[in-house]
Amino acid sequence: MKKTFLTVFGFSAIAFTLMFTSSCTSNPDSSGYEYMPDMYRSPAIEAYVDYAEIRGKEVTALKSLLSAKTPPRNTIPFYGTDSTEVKLMMPNLRKANVSFKETHGLFGIDLSLLDEYALAINDKNAIPLTAKNSEFILKNGKELFTAMCQHCHGEKGDGNGPMVTSGAYAGVPNYANLTALSDGQIFYSIYYGKGMMGAHNSLLNKKEIWTLVHYVRQFQDANYGKFDENGMAVLTAANSDTTGLKP
Amino acid sequence: MKISNIQMLNGLRKLVSTVLMICLSLLNFNALSQGEALFKSKCATCHQTHKNGTGPKLYQVRDKWASGGAKEGSIYQWVNNWQTAAASDPYAAEVSKWSPTAMSAFPDLKKEEIDAILDWVDAQPDPAAASATAGAGGATDGSAGVMSEESEEDSVAWIWIVMGVIFIVIIMAVGGVRRQLSIATSEDPTSQEKLTYTEEFRAWAWKNKIYVGITTLVLVISLIVGFFQTLATVGVVEGYQPSQPIAFPHDAHAGINGIDCKYCHNSVTKSKSAGIPTVNVCMNCHKQINGEGKPFAGEIQKIYKAAGWDPSGAGKYTGKVSPIVWNKVHVLPDHVYFNHSQHVVVGGIDCKQCHGDMTTMKEAVKVQPIEELNKIEGNIKLTKPTLTMGWCIECHGVKEVAIGNGKNAYYDEIHRRLKKDKALYRKYLQDGKITVNELGGWECAKCHY
Repeated sequence: MKKTFLTVFGFSAIAFTLMFTSSCTSNPDSSGYEYMPDMYRSPAIEAYVDYAEIRGKEVTALKSLLSAKTPPRNTIPFYGTDSTEVKLMMPNLRKANVSFKETHGLFGIDLSLLDEYALAINDKNAIPLTAKNSEFILKNGKELFTAMCQHCHGEKGDGNGPMVTSGAYAGVPNYANLTALSDGQIFYSIYYGKGMMGAHNSLLNKKEIWTLVHYVRQFQDANYGKFDENGMAVLTAANSDTTGLKP
Repeated sequence: MKISNIQMLNGLRKLVSTVLMICLSLLNFNALSQGEALFKSKCATCHQTHKNGTGPKLYQVRDKWASGGAKEGSIYQWVNNWQTAAASDPYAAEVSKWSPTAMSAFPDLKKEEIDAILDWVDAQPDPAAASATAGAGGATDGSAGVMSEESEEDSVAWIWIVMGVIFIVIIMAVGGVRRQLSIATSEDPTSQEKLTYTEEFRAWAWKNKIYVGITTLVLVISLIVGFFQTLATVGVVEGYQPSQPIAFPHDAHAGINGIDCKYCHNSVTKSKSAGIPTVNVCMNCHKQINGEGKPFAGEIQKIYKAAGWDPSGAGKYTGKVSPIVWNKVHVLPDHVYFNHSQHVVVGGIDCKQCHGDMTTMKEAVKVQPIEELNKIEGNIKLTKPTLTMGWCIECHGVKEVAIGNGKNAYYDEIHRRLKKDKALYRKYLQDGKITVNELGGWECAKCHY
């Protein structure tokens, strides 16, 4: 008799525990319990936080409809108080052509009826390369190029990045064939996009783009950015004039 | 004799014709390879053979022009300068409206060269047809996998509940039968009958007090342990894997296609937040990569809908955007301050130290458990669960800070002062490195304020 009772008691204990634990199924979209929600959720505006649910209350009017946002129109980031730096970061004076609305999705910005890409042929690099800053700029350029460009344009700028060699993407030009482009046009293409390439002004600021313009010039001229001991640029005989390089 | 002559003549003819054939095919081969080289250097930036891009696909474009009613030779004129062709041929004028992007002029290309290019293009097989037959069998859908796993977990929970109910019914039934039996078989029916269930239970418990005592003790201890274990999981988000609006495979992007993490999460070096890419970043590649004929084409359609991209024809942005709501995975409580740029730029921490190896992550992003993170080569090995305070503190205790290398003014200043206070510097350097906690990385106010 005793045995029966023990088994019965044991069974009921097991059953109870099982029910207790199984009732804790969680919502996969919830990150779990919080000790004090008012310390976990910011009442001040933070990125990627859905403000429809604060302190257990759901406010549908505040529900997040968008998680990744581009900066509001006509706003510029704070770039410090150094006037040359701020001047460099001022909005781009060259505007994209109206056709960029359809081809590159540039809605909500001022567009131009002119072919400003052609006009950009005379634009000079806003950061002049000197014997002093050359090494620093090209090192920064390499970092930027590795992160932002290399997957398509390739480590050597030949248009054979991993995106192209994997067969996912096609039609990336070789920088070595594009020597006719001016600094301004390269800048314009990165800023607003060209052909298949999208506008990269949401990813790179103007200083970074001008740095990249310097960096990609190296693929066209191995001597680009090299200076001799007198601080004079080392010129390559064949295309010394096309690089537009002046110390 | 005559017959043999004729035979010889025939043989000679055959020989000559084969030699001619070989010569012709060699010429043809040369023309094809010349076409390929020209296509790659002049056309490939905008045109593909079988897919519309910035420019329309070029496969059998000559037949298309001819059947479309274009004037003889106007296609060559078009390549040399599309504007003169559009002015003289109404079909070319129609073609010029295909896309607002104007084609570059190639005045140097001769008619034979253009033919060589187009011959080469027409000789190319359609890659979409080949991949469609190959890809039909091996469909991998990330979202489907997550879904089935979820429902499986749900059904398991139901089994437990049903089993629990069955157990309780059995226990009550057995208990009732036993009671009836004991009443029926009892020699003294009067004494038993008057006992209520509670009294009977008490009597039974008293009789078996050792067993009841031990069982109660075990139950109480296990309940207390369970309670504290449950408390310890509050705020621990290891393995958290929320659903996402698009089944995004990190392995295809960061792994196979070698895209740097910083391309899409580009604010990681500048801001507190690493950033979720806006849809225009997706479109930088997906304007071309539409996944046609692949099992994931539907997922890319979601990007097109979000970006307002109409892929038909040359494709164009319509301006009708519908934003994507991604679910945040790595959630830190608001009372913790964490800054990505400080860790990535100043600290030089690789993404994989905290987020795991995304180049092999096929499914939706999740908070990687610490065991997974420790498997990755080059990671600092830690023991506490990912994204808990213990985990942060542990890493701050062992991670070396590169000070005095001129990269960071704050650390340079610390280095300058440490050089003055040699005793302290030596004390810090006892383990051979300056760790984060030695520079105040364990101060409460570093992260909580």
